[in-house]
Amino acid sequence: MRTLSALRLTTTLAVGAGVLGLYLAGLLGAVGLGFAGLALVAGWWLQERITPSRRVAALITAVIALAAALDLLYLSTVVFDAFVRLLVLLVLLRLVTARRPRDLRDAGMLAFFMPVASSAVTVSVDFVFVLVAYVLASMTMLVLAHDLGEAERAGADAAALAELRTGPGVVLIGVAGSVVAAGVTLALFFVIPRVGEATLAFRNPSQRMLIGFSDRVELGTIGQLETDATVAMRVHLPAGPPPPTLLPHIRWRGVALERYDGTAWSTDRPRGRAVRSFGGGSLEVQPVRGPGTYLQQAIFLEPIGAEAIFAAPHAVRLWARNGVAVVDEAGAISVPTPSARLQYGVDSLVGPGPWGGRLDADARARHLQLPPLPPRIAALAREVTAGTRTQAQAAQALTVFLSRDFRYTLTLERRTDLDPLEEFLFVRRSGNCEYFSAALAVMLRTLGVPARVVNGFQRGEWNPYGEYFLVRMGDAHSWVEAHVDGAGWITLDPSPRGEGGLEPATASVSLWLDAVRVRWYRYIVGWSRQDQVQAAVALQRVATRPWRLPWRDLAVPAGAAAAGLVAAAVVAWVAWRRLAAWGPARAAVSRPPDFYRRALRVLARAGLRPAPSETAREFAARVADSAPAATEAMRGLTASYEAVRFGGQTPDARAMEAVRALRAALRRG
Amino acid sequence: MAPEWPPAVFRPRRTIRPTREGWWCLAIAILLGLTSVNSGNNLLYLLESLLLALIIVSGVMSEQSLRGVRLRPLLPDAVFAGQSVMLGAVVRNAKRRLPARSIALETADGARVIAFPWLGPGVEQVAAWPHTFMRRGRQRLPGLRLTTRFPFGLFAKRGRVRFEQEVIVFPSPAVVSDGRLHDTQGGDGIAARRRGRGHTLRELREYRPGDDPRLIHWRVSARTGTTVVRELEAEATADVRIVLRGTGARDPRRLERGLSVAAGLALRAAAGGAAVSLAGAGVSVPAGRGREHAHRILTALALYAPAEAVRADAPAASAGREIVVDLD
Repeated sequence: MRTLSALRLTTTLAVGAGVLGLYLAGLLGAVGLGFAGLALVAGWWLQERITPSRRVAALITAVIALAAALDLLYLSTVVFDAFVRLLVLLVLLRLVTARRPRDLRDAGMLAFFMPVASSAVTVSVDFVFVLVAYVLASMTMLVLAHDLGEAERAGADAAALAELRTGPGVVLIGVAGSVVAAGVTLALFFVIPRVGEATLAFRNPSQRMLIGFSDRVELGTIGQLETDATVAMRVHLPAGPPPPTLLPHIRWRGVALERYDGTAWSTDRPRGRAVRSFGGGSLEVQPVRGPGTYLQQAIFLEPIGAEAIFAAPHAVRLWARNGVAVVDEAGAISVPTPSARLQYGVDSLVGPGPWGGRLDADARARHLQLPPLPPRIAALAREVTAGTRTQAQAAQALTVFLSRDFRYTLTLERRTDLDPLEEFLFVRRSGNCEYFSAALAVMLRTLGVPARVVNGFQRGEWNPYGEYFLVRMGDAHSWVEAHVDGAGWITLDPSPRGEGGLEPATASVSLWLDAVRVRWYRYIVGWSRQDQVQAAVALQRVATRPWRLPWRDLAVPAGAAAAGLVAAAVVAWVAWRRLAAWGPARAAVSRPPDFYRRALRVLARAGLRPAPSETAREFAARVADSAPAATEAMRGLTASYEAVRFGGQTPDARAMEAVRALRAALRRG
Repeated sequence: MAPEWPPAVFRPRRTIRPTREGWWCLAIAILLGLTSVNSGNNLLYLLESLLLALIIVSGVMSEQSLRGVRLRPLLPDAVFAGQSVMLGAVVRNAKRRLPARSIALETADGARVIAFPWLGPGVEQVAAWPHTFMRRGRQRLPGLRLTTRFPFGLFAKRGRVRFEQEVIVFPSPAVVSDGRLHDTQGGDGIAARRRGRGHTLRELREYRPGDDPRLIHWRVSARTGTTVVRELEAEATADVRIVLRGTGARDPRRLERGLSVAAGLALRAAAGGAAVSLAGAGVSVPAGRGREHAHRILTALALYAPAEAVRADAPAASAGREIVVDLD
């Protein structure tokens, strides 16, 4: 392939990768992507045929300057976006109007600012794929540009440069360089000192979850989400998969709502208290009293725009990047900084409950509030709970009644003009989780049991490759918490929407890829000074822990063992270098030159082989006796052999000529 | 001569200098580093690490390209001070498997001698470049710089190549007139005039079989109608003894001028077929003929040192034809 064409191709690919990165980061729309793609293709097509004149280039530059000024002053709402568009235009301009190899290289190098711009607004794992593509293309581009530059320095004109050809070796250098650079990049990335917590840059958070997890949630809102397979969050359990006894109690609690107006749930409880931590420590969320098991969670939440954060009930401690959270009396936690909601850690005490103590009068009144209701709802509650002695038994009876006698469906069309709950309980007898939880909470309140609706997520799918729960939008869920017998809160889930065990339902490849994504969030996007300290401490611990050698009772400190290994490696390397230095000299003595060995093979085919004790001249004389036609050829061959072997000379054309003459002579003879 | 500073031991084996693009790369790396620290954005840290890795990989690959490239100097037959001479070197990639890519040889002042885009393992190439030694005497061959911008053209890495070989630089030979060559002092003062291969015309005569066709005088032959050849005089029919008078310790410029004249005389006499000897304070080369002998005399002149001459005995009187050259 022509080197110039290869340079154009790799530059186009590098720029293309940068543009794609901008698109995936949301900095470039579909129109922008299409325009850039069209420009790249057109540029490629044009460059292979014509070189644009300086006048055309100047004209395009003027148009771009005008467009950028208009964009900056009037069109763009965000200055950063305008600069990104200007960058794209400049790179494309440089690429399309390139006249010399260095122009192409400059375009490729300028495209480096595209991943830089993307990094300011994205945390997606897509970034790394784009970056890898850019690095592969740009490294090969740099090698090709270097080759052409060297040819230019050697005096090659444009025509000669156009005829210069390149082989796959350059691509190999580019790929090898990229692989090594990737390794060095990772090593540097982890050790470059951080000065604080990692900040998580993102923009344009999805607004759709706000409707399900805000302070006011209409009935049926959650149902809109339940068909969505988009990933909402990932909950990594550092201690591994939870025990089966804990599974029924694991769900991801978000907002708690206690005011019901007949069509929607909302809250009117006092604003929560702020909890803070300093120096990267944990936030003590709330004191929790109750039986249960501690569950440690590292949560990676997709940017969803809701202030609430999700965790297994009941959260005890929280690790948030900004060190501030707001906790209300219902135990709902919100983190005001959007980037701090993307990664956080929670310790929860998980179990059947009851949790907490007595309710004060004000809270009790709020959790017993009811709108005007059809009387038959309260009558139904009394009918179902007839015969129960305690509030807990009544609550269980209602839960069983709903989950057993009602059907779960996402088809929520209204058939009557009745109150939504009345229609659900007496006409449709089917609905989604919100109807079940709302019906249970309302019926409990008619019985004088304080209750509230909680919105969050079901447990999700267990990913064994990353040891985390993969929670999708479709796992959005609603359930009930009731304060029974003055003892505390218990969790009730009347919805017949069941969950199985830990067996994954998704294909292994998808889960594996998703596990990669989690590691990306954990170890790249979220790598912080605290992680560096922990890694250093772990290294120190490993280095100072004694290694007990299996074959003798001798404990060697790991640090000393590592130092010994390094020293041994250095000695081995030095020895290898020395041997390598001796190698060619020894080879020169013990190994005849290539042309002479080739001649020996020719002679061997004719049945003539040198005896071990025979010198080259003696062998030549014997060959001359056996094949007189080869006498001259053998003489020349032997002279060349001696000159190379013992005279330190380089084999020249005469040596190869002698081999050819020998072959011809033996054929004739 | 002033000693080199810093001493060779402390000078780096390799030097790296960014190219224009390399400076840009470094500037971007610094800016990106500051932005990363300021923002705490790990993706910026990743890009910063990538740039630094690019620089490291560039350094490793360029080192790999330069390593194992060996130079063996090719020395000219005779080197005269002040005259340009072609020096040469055999450039060999001694690596067993890897090629040396994109290497160039540069002189100490940065002039590019030759560039090899690709030097396969074990492959040799010859490079030659002009050089002028300004002073006579024993001198080390000038070093070269082995340069590469491989692989990305961001940095120019240079390695010093020092040759251990020395070269004897002869004094610059002065142009010697015929009169000076025949201007004898001392001795018998009589030069036997005889035929030879000098430059002075002795007579014209008819062509005889065996005469050198180059000696045919075409114009006279055409005018007379018979083939006429030139018969030349041997220019130094007698032994020439070049005597250096004085030690040259007083005035270095006079010394160098004198040695230059002596070198010119020796070359001129030797070319004429005469036996030439050299005598002076602390220097004595017996008579001899031919190119190699001329080089012996030139070597003696090249290495002539006034300090040693002072301690030596004065030249003995000679019975031969002498040409005296003043050094003081």
